[in-house]
Amino acid sequence: MERFAKRGVALIAAGLAGSLVLAGCSGQDLEGGSDKAAEGQVTLKVNFWGDMGLDKLKAAYEKDHPNVKIVLNSGEYNAQHEDLQKKLVAGSGAPDISAVDEGFIVQFRGQSDKFVNLLDKGAASYESKYLPWKWQQSMSTDKKTQIGLGTDVGGLAMCYRSDLFKKAGLPTDRESVSKLWTTWDDFIKVGQQYVSKTGKKFVDSGTNMFNPVLAQQPQGFYDESEQLQMDGGPKVAFDVAMKTIDAGLSANLASFQPNWDQGFKKDQFAVLACPAWMLGHIQDTAPEQKGKWDIATIPGGGGNWGGSWWTIPKQGKNTDEAYKFVEWMVQPAQQIEVFKTVGNLPSQPALYKDPAVLDYKKEFMSNAPTGQIFAATAEGLKPQYLGKKNGPTRVAVENVITRVQQGSLKSSAAWPEAVKAAQKAATS
Amino acid sequence: MSLTRSAPPAVNPEPAHRRAPDAGPKSRNWLHRFDNKRVPYLLISPFFLLFAIFGLFPIVFNGVVALRNWRLDDPTLTGWAGLANFEKLIHDDAFWNALFNTFGIFILATVPQLLIALMVANLLNRKLRATSWWRVGVLLPYVTPVAASTLVFAVFFSRDNGMANWLLSLVGFGQDAPLDWRAQKWSAWLAIATMVNWKWIGYNALLYLSAMQSIPKDVYEAAAVDGAGPWRQLWRITVPMIQPVLVFTVVLSTIGGLQLFNEPMLFEENPAAASGGSNGQWQTIAQLIYKVGWKDLNLGYAAAMSWALFLIILIVAALNALATNRLGGGRR
Amino acid sequence: MTAVAPPAKPLKPRRRAEIGRAPQDTRGTWRTYIALVAVLALSAFPLYWMFVIATSTDEAVSQIPPSVVPGGEFVNNLREVFTLQQVYFAASLINSFIVAIVVTASTLFFCSLAGFAFAKLRFPGRDKLMVVVILTLTVPNQLGIVALYILMGKLGWNGTLLSVIAPFLVSAFGVFYMRQFIMHSVPDELVESARMDGALTMRVYWSIVLPAIRPALAVLGLLTFVATWNEFQWPLIQLNGTEFPTSMVALSDLASGNYVIYRRVLAGAFAATIPLLVLLVLGGRQIVRGIMEGAVKS
Repeated sequence: MERFAKRGVALIAAGLAGSLVLAGCSGQDLEGGSDKAAEGQVTLKVNFWGDMGLDKLKAAYEKDHPNVKIVLNSGEYNAQHEDLQKKLVAGSGAPDISAVDEGFIVQFRGQSDKFVNLLDKGAASYESKYLPWKWQQSMSTDKKTQIGLGTDVGGLAMCYRSDLFKKAGLPTDRESVSKLWTTWDDFIKVGQQYVSKTGKKFVDSGTNMFNPVLAQQPQGFYDESEQLQMDGGPKVAFDVAMKTIDAGLSANLASFQPNWDQGFKKDQFAVLACPAWMLGHIQDTAPEQKGKWDIATIPGGGGNWGGSWWTIPKQGKNTDEAYKFVEWMVQPAQQIEVFKTVGNLPSQPALYKDPAVLDYKKEFMSNAPTGQIFAATAEGLKPQYLGKKNGPTRVAVENVITRVQQGSLKSSAAWPEAVKAAQKAATS
Repeated sequence: MSLTRSAPPAVNPEPAHRRAPDAGPKSRNWLHRFDNKRVPYLLISPFFLLFAIFGLFPIVFNGVVALRNWRLDDPTLTGWAGLANFEKLIHDDAFWNALFNTFGIFILATVPQLLIALMVANLLNRKLRATSWWRVGVLLPYVTPVAASTLVFAVFFSRDNGMANWLLSLVGFGQDAPLDWRAQKWSAWLAIATMVNWKWIGYNALLYLSAMQSIPKDVYEAAAVDGAGPWRQLWRITVPMIQPVLVFTVVLSTIGGLQLFNEPMLFEENPAAASGGSNGQWQTIAQLIYKVGWKDLNLGYAAAMSWALFLIILIVAALNALATNRLGGGRR
Repeated sequence: MTAVAPPAKPLKPRRRAEIGRAPQDTRGTWRTYIALVAVLALSAFPLYWMFVIATSTDEAVSQIPPSVVPGGEFVNNLREVFTLQQVYFAASLINSFIVAIVVTASTLFFCSLAGFAFAKLRFPGRDKLMVVVILTLTVPNQLGIVALYILMGKLGWNGTLLSVIAPFLVSAFGVFYMRQFIMHSVPDELVESARMDGALTMRVYWSIVLPAIRPALAVLGLLTFVATWNEFQWPLIQLNGTEFPTSMVALSDLASGNYVIYRRVLAGAFAATIPLLVLLVLGGRQIVRGIMEGAVKS
């Protein structure tokens, strides 16, 4: 005991000495950004979620710009936006560059004084290159500040497992599959066939029905005067989600969670509503399912679900370098590169005519012409207005859908709950 | 980092001491007077200073924040709010729901925890081979980081491939529709209470053991007249004798249990959500405070909630201490 | 097992002989040992299973019935955790060490100083101040958390390691524990005679008290280290989303991304547990002693 005690004290002393050395080291690291800036060394921290296809871009940019080090920080979708909000108010700690999704852009453009006005950096010349609504969505209300440059848009399609369709006796090629479902009711009927034939579930989750259907509606949660309008689009989308659950089509997996990822691997569902950016997630999660997925049109017509901008918080020390990197990322060559690696569809319409996009066939998706499919959905879009509280409202309504899936809420009683939850989120 | 600078020996009289023998009697006197009168305070001052800054001040200031508008997402919205935050609290379903959850989990976690700990202590309170080996063994859960163990339990209780459901299926439950532990209050509470119980049984057992070993042996001899077997011995002699420690552990688990945060937080499929399930099935007050303060960014309201929580803890701890005293206390 | 069970006849007389004997003098029976083995198995199981998943492939994780044998993928899984750029896992382990060691060292130093003063020095207000120390033990840390966050912001420490170190530099329990130990283990005469020889207070602390309380320092040090390493809520508030999380925050991050993979999460969890398992092996007896002594004195 006594001997140990001595050793313990010695250990602690040694540890302390070690920690001081470490503290010294990490001290250098921590201040690396500003110290090295004096010598022209710049570190740019980039926050985003999921996979935005940046790994290759980072390497290429760092190679051409030896003075720039890029730190990629992918986190959870909602958490990244909340964190950005927190850091903006705190006045420090925000990344040099942050992706902001469509669902949160209105919230952040309302605080345009906290972002670098990209017009001041010469972004005005890009206006003509973007889809007009994409450009407008990230503009401050007084139209004087542009807080972000668009990355992608989330044109809608329906991904399906052709191998599972075959087993269920359904057609497998994308034209015939597209013809199976022009409306969501058709879709549910196909789902019922599939379920009765195979005994397996058809879709992953009710929330992944709700979101695309909502995206197809002329109006989302909020109207342009920021009033919650649950009886419009949300009601339609909610009903489709409930019908799907009631018909027993849903595997009831919470999307983007571990069990959902496992659901891919265990063939727990056969279709997945996929905006362009979903392709990256499918191939990252289930790389072994290459060639088993294909893409058909989505029932109910075009729409946009998701899509992001690159923004530069004002508090960063290297906003010039940050802008250079952002500008480089939205150039056609890089946009096409991202499109090819993860599938994100660019938001600059000129690229939709570019052979590199138009003729591209995605090998993972059974060589589906993803450029053609998604470009077609993106071009004719009437964008929805998304309110300031769109993010939290969506989470609240998704939670109600989850409750129905978990069996703790009857689908017939769910709508009033959804309205209540949305109202609460709107005023929180 | 300036960590190295943060360990200032407030008093370092070493050089002074070395100088002391050479110094004249006058300065020696002064030095010793200083040493007698002031140095004791210097020795305890780091504790009180640090506590004042990082302990006391926040508590007082928390009261101020609770009475103000203090939002992280809207810095322009400031000024006194009066009792508005508390009023909001009273009408907030989420708060009452969280309070209900906190108590539910607290009871499911505390009662079995202390009872089983008593049993384990009773087992350890024997002449055993490798005595300390067993004692160290029961501390395994105590040293395991809650974050780490909760993540294991989160997998253990998952709906589709979880081990808990597999075990249930062995005895014939849920073979067609596996139990979704996170869906209902009772199942989520049970899962979380299991984690808390697992973590603290060993620790409490050692507290009890230590008290048991300081019971004078003649007490048992005296009771032998009754012909008490081991079981009656435990309940009739041991338990009443260790009653102060029982009270202590009850108070301790009350303070800890009502502030439960880690387990509900990491039980979530997506821990960043802090919502305690799709309908707040298992959201505790501490978790709600975190959500309100650092996700909804409403610090004023979060501060009001922590005051409410403090009051509740105070009342419950006092009641518990009283009740435990009564229950075991009649005998002495 | 039935073979081991003693036949019913000799049982009774033996039992009678044991009546009146204190439990701690009663030899454990095979039943005691079986129960203890069960307790130990349940205590260890989650850790063991953590290791099983941490060493498995994705397929093994989701198979039914679950696999209960470790696989061979630990190194691979661990490598994935450490190379995940956004989680900063390697850095987080270092950060946890820095925080835990600084807090431990500071707690030992300040608490032994104060404990010494409370135990052996005479000064006006001593006992009242000691009561204050004990009272601070009962304040739930949840109470000041919002204001503490604001305070850290004003100090400019939000999001730095300093913010998770500063509030834990001293502990009331530490002062209390040190006071009890010094009261019992340092003889008053020794202190008195040293003072008669003209030794100053710090001299007494350094050459008489410190050597005598090494065991207590080890105990308090271990307890503090374990508690600091495992701290979750406050570091989460402070360090989530920064480049210098502690390992607990990094773990929560690992479990909340968009590509959460259980074998990876639990490989990380296991890695963050290893230092404490090492401590338990090296200093388990000290930790046991610390907890048991804390109980008697409270």
